[in-house]
Amino acid sequence: MLRVAIVGCGKIADAHASQIRRIKNCAVVAACDREPLMARQLAERFAVERCFGDLQELLSESRPDVVHITTPPQSHFSLAKLCLENGAHVYVEKPFTLYEDEARNLINLAESRGLKITAGHDDQFTHVARRMRALVQSGFLGEGPVHMESYYCYELATTGYAGALLGDKQHWVRRLPGRLLHNIISHGIARIAEFLRTDSPRVIAHGFISPLLKSFGETEIVDELRVIISEEERTTAYFTFSSQMRPTLHQLRLFGTKNGLILDHDNETLIRLQGARRKSYLEKVVPPVDFARQYLANLRTNLGLFAARDFHMKSGMKFLIESFYRSITEDAPLALSYREILLTAKIMDSIFAQLDAQAPICPRNCEPALAR
Amino acid sequence: MERTGLPATMESTEYIIRPDDQILVTGATGFIAPRLVDHLLDLGFRRIRCLVRHSSRAEKVDALCSRANGAIVEVMRGNLLSREDCARATENAAVIFHLAAGRGEKFFPDAFMNSVVTTRNLLDAVRLHQCLKRFVNVSSFAVYSNVNKPRWRTLDESCPVERHPELRADAYAFAKLKQDELVEEYRKKFAIASVIVRPGWVYGPGNESITGRVGTGTFGVFLHLGGSTRIPLTYVDNCAEAIARAGLIKGVDGNVFNIVDDDLPTSRQFLRLYKKNVHDFPSLFLPHLLSYTLCYLWEKYSKWSEGQLPSTFCRKTWHASWKTTRYTNAKVKQALGWAPRIPTSEGLARYFEAARRKVEHA
Repeated sequence: MLRVAIVGCGKIADAHASQIRRIKNCAVVAACDREPLMARQLAERFAVERCFGDLQELLSESRPDVVHITTPPQSHFSLAKLCLENGAHVYVEKPFTLYEDEARNLINLAESRGLKITAGHDDQFTHVARRMRALVQSGFLGEGPVHMESYYCYELATTGYAGALLGDKQHWVRRLPGRLLHNIISHGIARIAEFLRTDSPRVIAHGFISPLLKSFGETEIVDELRVIISEEERTTAYFTFSSQMRPTLHQLRLFGTKNGLILDHDNETLIRLQGARRKSYLEKVVPPVDFARQYLANLRTNLGLFAARDFHMKSGMKFLIESFYRSITEDAPLALSYREILLTAKIMDSIFAQLDAQAPICPRNCEPALAR
Repeated sequence: MERTGLPATMESTEYIIRPDDQILVTGATGFIAPRLVDHLLDLGFRRIRCLVRHSSRAEKVDALCSRANGAIVEVMRGNLLSREDCARATENAAVIFHLAAGRGEKFFPDAFMNSVVTTRNLLDAVRLHQCLKRFVNVSSFAVYSNVNKPRWRTLDESCPVERHPELRADAYAFAKLKQDELVEEYRKKFAIASVIVRPGWVYGPGNESITGRVGTGTFGVFLHLGGSTRIPLTYVDNCAEAIARAGLIKGVDGNVFNIVDDDLPTSRQFLRLYKKNVHDFPSLFLPHLLSYTLCYLWEKYSKWSEGQLPSTFCRKTWHASWKTTRYTNAKVKQALGWAPRIPTSEGLARYFEAARRKVEHA
């Protein structure tokens, strides 16, 4: 039985606790939050044995095998380091760390101590994402992706999280090096990183504040981002983050030398784009029929998963956690490679450095502790 | 909550503070608070501090200031999650009307943080200053389980609250229950005088939605679930007046007051009037036996599927929202000398007018 602890008892911690509850041979034995009331509410709802306000105390007294870190990203590095130093495996929510060198340090530390660590890129392990990965590995694309397009959009409403962020100049998201982008884009970047072959792709980023946010008097939060990623004149990728475009897409489009794929995360659909063209008017008639057939097949798959009680909103998280635990108990390979975690962090570092160079967006509120 | 003796006659109901004593209103740009501030000013109170979020829109804050008319209406921007802000806000406060809440929060941690952690910060700040005469905690009918009631169908202040709110998939109800428990804990442990008020569905211009107690539009067509059940309505001005009196009248510390108006319509009457006065839309009535059965099945499926569908519709929700229930305002009338000034017919007319304007401008 794996003894699990959760550090940081906000919204995402609920998702972790819910999914861990569905996995056999593990139990959440401790919850920790700097605000004891928050730890208590999670413990009460998920029948967790003990609550703590201090992580060191938790590690000493509850001795968990695995710690899930679900705090704001500023604390990921120090908390994960503490857990590893105390002999616990660590699952860190996205973004893994603030900077690539922190990510590298954590991975090195884990390896040096014979421990495992992973990042919460759970979107890459939904049913549809796994189907896509299997197709790519089977050679459906031909030569690996020639070009990729990753869309990760976000609807900024004036209520809820976004409202709080926009209205509060001291909000923790504003103190991240990449502000709002830092907290959101890692899912979309990680999807590209998975298919890159080198460790140092070229990154060109352009970001700006949307007219809507400007109309609210916003001067710091960049909510429109376009990125071009390329490696050795072989593979290219576009990444788009937008708060304004509709629909708010969460898509990955892969184009190989033979065929293409479109993964829609919102609809959980995977569409195959056939590279071979048909003759004359058949090109206008056959593909629409084929697309209709594919969408129906996706519907059938999704309904089948639902009927089999395996279509939860956070199915990717359950898969990732379960794989991570298996890698610990059975020394199985990690579902998410360290290379991919590091590459995602590196691309994000590069994006934020370029945005800062284009228009320093943190003239007032950067905390010295976070500035480099 | 422990009951204290209620005043037998209204002669004993003097105010616990003087007109120049400091009053704090949290959540001041919300739906009820501006009416509360108005009412307090009408009663002659001259020092009102309004705590508003940093993100509150300027026009709402300006509107608060414009009500002053010679009195001091101090608008303080702050965050109840900041202990420093709480300390500033509660300084010299003799009465606190705590209306800020994590309303509309879908997730339990968010609702909890914005209702319970904030309340704890406020109460700790109160302990520092030692000048508070009463803390008015604005709660909700959502905290009642509406089962095992001592007076069968009548829901009053003596009815049990939900013992397992986490099973209801209602983050707001969970947070409000925990908030009530915290206020009670501080009352007993630190002798912080407090009153809990639990309004029913507060309606009026500014909140033109249809309460979930009537039904739900979740599934595309509006499912009418209330049927012949009465809707615990309270018009916003009436509610604000009751809250004001709960903070001012002597001798009611430690009490809970439910606030509902008189002449409450049934769900069916409400829906018919809404369709007639605002806009018509298709709805499907589900008799209580059927809605209960569907809630039961949903609950079982949710459990069997390990939360593939959240337990939004469960028996606890059915009891709390749609079961045939009668409501009473006898206690608030007797103890606080309150009576709804705006009759329900007039309140509904104003609400429908506002709702119609909103629909036309949508």
